[in-house]
Amino acid sequence: MKSAIKKLQEDYAAHRVTPLQVFQDTLLKARENQEKCNSFVTLFDHVEESSQRGDLQNVVYALKDNFSTKGILTTASSNTLSNYVPVYDATVYQKLKDAGAVLIGKTTMDEFGLGGTGLTAHTGYVFNPLDTTRQAGGSSAGSACVVSSGVVPFAIGSDTGDSVRKPAAYCGIVGYKPTYGLISRYGLFAFASSMDHVGVLTRSVYDAAMVVDVIKGKDEKDMTSIDSSSMHLVESLVHANHQPKKLFYIKEIMDITKYSKPSDELKMTFSLFEQLTKKAKEKGISIVGESFDEDLLRAIASTYTCLTCAEATSNLSNLTSILFGPQEEANDVNEMMMAHRTKGFSSLIKRRLIIGSYVLQKENQEKYFINAQRVRRLIVEKMNALFSKYDGLILPCSEGGAKYIDESKNHTSDDLRILENHMAIGNFGGFPSITIPCGFVKGLPVGINITGKVLDDCNVLEIAARLEEMIAYQNPLVKEEM
Amino acid sequence: MNFTKELVDDFALKLLIGLREEENQMVLDEFEEIEHHMDLICQIPNISSVEPMTHPPVLFDETLREDDFVEEMPVEDVLCNAAHKNLSSVIVPKVVKE
Amino acid sequence: MNYIPTIGIEMHCEMKSHTKVFSRARNTYSEEANIHVSPVDIGLPGILPVLNKECVRKAIKAACILNCTIPKYLYFDRKNYYYPDLPKGYQITQSHDPIGQNGKILVPFQDGDFEVLIHDIHLEEDSAQLEHIGRYSYINYNRSGVPLLELVTEPCFHSKEEVIAFLEYIRRVYQYADISLADATKGQIRCDVNISLSKDDTLGTKVEVKNVNSFANVGAVIDSEIERQLHLITCGRAEEIEQETRRFDEESGETKRMRSKADAIDYKYFVEPNIPKIRIDEKMIDEIKKEIPVLPRERFLKYTKDYGLTKVDAQTILKEKAISDYFDSWIDAGIEPLEACNWIIGPILGYLNKEGMKISDFEFSIADFQFVLEKLHDGTISSKQAKEIVGKMLTEHASPKDLITHDFAQISDEEVLNQIISEIIERSSEQLEAYKNGRTNLFSYFVGQVMKETGGKANPIKTRDLLEKKLK
Repeated sequence: MKSAIKKLQEDYAAHRVTPLQVFQDTLLKARENQEKCNSFVTLFDHVEESSQRGDLQNVVYALKDNFSTKGILTTASSNTLSNYVPVYDATVYQKLKDAGAVLIGKTTMDEFGLGGTGLTAHTGYVFNPLDTTRQAGGSSAGSACVVSSGVVPFAIGSDTGDSVRKPAAYCGIVGYKPTYGLISRYGLFAFASSMDHVGVLTRSVYDAAMVVDVIKGKDEKDMTSIDSSSMHLVESLVHANHQPKKLFYIKEIMDITKYSKPSDELKMTFSLFEQLTKKAKEKGISIVGESFDEDLLRAIASTYTCLTCAEATSNLSNLTSILFGPQEEANDVNEMMMAHRTKGFSSLIKRRLIIGSYVLQKENQEKYFINAQRVRRLIVEKMNALFSKYDGLILPCSEGGAKYIDESKNHTSDDLRILENHMAIGNFGGFPSITIPCGFVKGLPVGINITGKVLDDCNVLEIAARLEEMIAYQNPLVKEEM
Repeated sequence: MNFTKELVDDFALKLLIGLREEENQMVLDEFEEIEHHMDLICQIPNISSVEPMTHPPVLFDETLREDDFVEEMPVEDVLCNAAHKNLSSVIVPKVVKE
Repeated sequence: MNYIPTIGIEMHCEMKSHTKVFSRARNTYSEEANIHVSPVDIGLPGILPVLNKECVRKAIKAACILNCTIPKYLYFDRKNYYYPDLPKGYQITQSHDPIGQNGKILVPFQDGDFEVLIHDIHLEEDSAQLEHIGRYSYINYNRSGVPLLELVTEPCFHSKEEVIAFLEYIRRVYQYADISLADATKGQIRCDVNISLSKDDTLGTKVEVKNVNSFANVGAVIDSEIERQLHLITCGRAEEIEQETRRFDEESGETKRMRSKADAIDYKYFVEPNIPKIRIDEKMIDEIKKEIPVLPRERFLKYTKDYGLTKVDAQTILKEKAISDYFDSWIDAGIEPLEACNWIIGPILGYLNKEGMKISDFEFSIADFQFVLEKLHDGTISSKQAKEIVGKMLTEHASPKDLITHDFAQISDEEVLNQIISEIIERSSEQLEAYKNGRTNLFSYFVGQVMKETGGKANPIKTRDLLEKKLK
């Protein structure tokens, strides 16, 4: 099984390289990548060898800039936190430190994780390393770039709708968001708490399993974290017995006749999917179509918007500049808070917060927010019913490859709403969900997503690994491995 | 609900956010679309009889934290990011009593 | 025209616990600012609440005492608003399914009890403390995240006296059940008061007065608000009574307008996603119920009805649970209630007051007191001596046994006593004659003389016996 982390560790063990050489090389590549893609908010000039003899000793990585890191600037790519230096460590960061992993920098993201473009950071656009006229996807844009470009073997992201899995698809890498609660959220800057997940971006399924094995676990600082001490992802991948698997796709999404003007990209993506289905069958993985209520499918995006905006309105209320964040001169405290928020939030955030506030308003709450929570249940229950018959759901991640940075070049169509937003289902249900690259459309990588039932992470990873092997995707930017 | 410029500003004000003219307009422009999509939610049959889902349906550990172990941060850490402080307190321009 | 006030109360009380309700910082008062704080209490980005079991148990205990319905699941909600004392921009509280609902409790009042209906009781977190000095407000986060219990009554009070009796009683109940120290002087109790006036059963327009920080002020608020509303009604300006929120201005003793209903804040409550819903186990409730001590009202009835204590004495003993428990331990040791009451209220509480001590610091064993009482009952010592012995025992930490055998060693030897008696009779011929002529009350004169002669050490019972024989 391919693994950049294992290869690095083997190189260390065989003394083919020293950590110092790796660090120098990594920082050099990182600076190049920063020039090209604007992947980092903070990039260290220098890193120290780790004395922790853990499972990831001296493995370099990058962390999305919404994880609290003591003594290291952490901005969530927002002007409201442009000078914020946390005083405590996120559990994920702590666990990686304990495992000996070496952080090289904090990656650029969509401000606070809202938005899926990588274009809303306070430090500017993030560019796709495969085509710099394209978006990297978001919100874990920088994390996707640095992994795709081969700067680091893994990066940590966060995923509320598809924020790990979408940029992974656009950058041709693996993006994995485990079951909700598997990884502690302590120290992850909240966007929509009931849907926020920590996720990893890697170039292989095996590496994703390795990293999650290290960072998962019950955390006394997060009441929604769960004990998974009996779950061993790498071990289960290695010992997989290649039993037949059954996956389903949603017919209503994969029916080309449902799209009034299907683009070439869409047709090519669908045809890739068809080829995959055929090949998978030979390898013992059956992929069949299942029907899903179209009412529910059409409501996914609205439900997502409604719930995330509402929770974000509350979660971002601590941004007042009283205790942290750049403070504006003012005569009274209200004026001061207002000046900070007005100046600090981007237009997009402001608009989302207003929507959140609107759907939570007493008169509207039942109609919008509570009903959205109800739709969430209906969708999750429908998925669970299907999971009783199938190992997982498989679907393309998007219409095609990465979108243009110049939004005017992107064709938008209401038809695509479901296809472009379906991965939020994984967040509604807290389902384990992984995206792997499955080929190229017009020269750009596209991904497929596999989502399984809660706590069935081992199974989802096994399926992903089998498909990965079958697809044999070659990363155009990283030739050295395998 | 008929969304007006004034209403948008009122919402923004309550969020302690000021909107520029064009930002206000953007909200108004977006709103129609958003409301249309929101309405999709309400059209789901028998929606009102469904129990709202507030957390992902994961079996969480229900053991509560024992009230013994103390963990506090040094006062320097409390204050280190604050723009204005005096002795060991954070200070802000005087809060006007309602 | 008789207008009746109808009053409802929201009582916020800081709970007793080692750590805060959602963080591991200490729940304690300190003069030093910002030393009992964790990242959770100051709302740093990325923090998550972790619920304190002890606070949940105590909230359930309170709900049980108030005879509330307890829901199957424990939920928390966010109450969203901006204020500099609220670092997260929301307060974690319980709004849609509080831990105790629809309760009631009997409150002792004047000559009987009255029933107070409880709308709900819920667990929440306190805000930080603001101090306004000059052009600035100083923020101290020590209080941020301190567990609060909010008790909301139905509008079921019709006088200030009822309200105060209720508040005093709940305060005492919280102290008895170890839920809260309920120390108003430390700002641990704050009340919101809802008042309306009406001539009949329909409720008048409700005015809410927020954040009243002492029971005395609750009384003042009720008086001034009734007066204000009555004044408006009698002037024919009843329509000026608005549904609004007011605050109490201590200087003027009047309530001042904060905001009208139209400006009411929409708190946009929603379920706190970071705290999973937690099943409230029936077994846990039963366990908690067993921890509830006998409450002051029941103790009062026992003391006055069964033991025959006066109401005033019973109240004195009930002021503190520790004193009441101490009194009960005397009864358990077989001491007569009235005697126990007299000794505890008199010398013991007097001593504790003087020394500024608490009953928990009182180190003398009941056996010591029992020894003294025994000697008193068998006539070895007089009641005056008993008091002296106890006094010495407390101030000099002497053992009552030593005291009685040394300082208070009695003269019980009949020969010695007879000798003294004979001498007294010899020199009191006048009194002796009068006595024999029928002035029997002169008997005490002879007793007194014996006592004087012996410095009070003569065994009083023996003295009487011997005197009676001699004077026959």
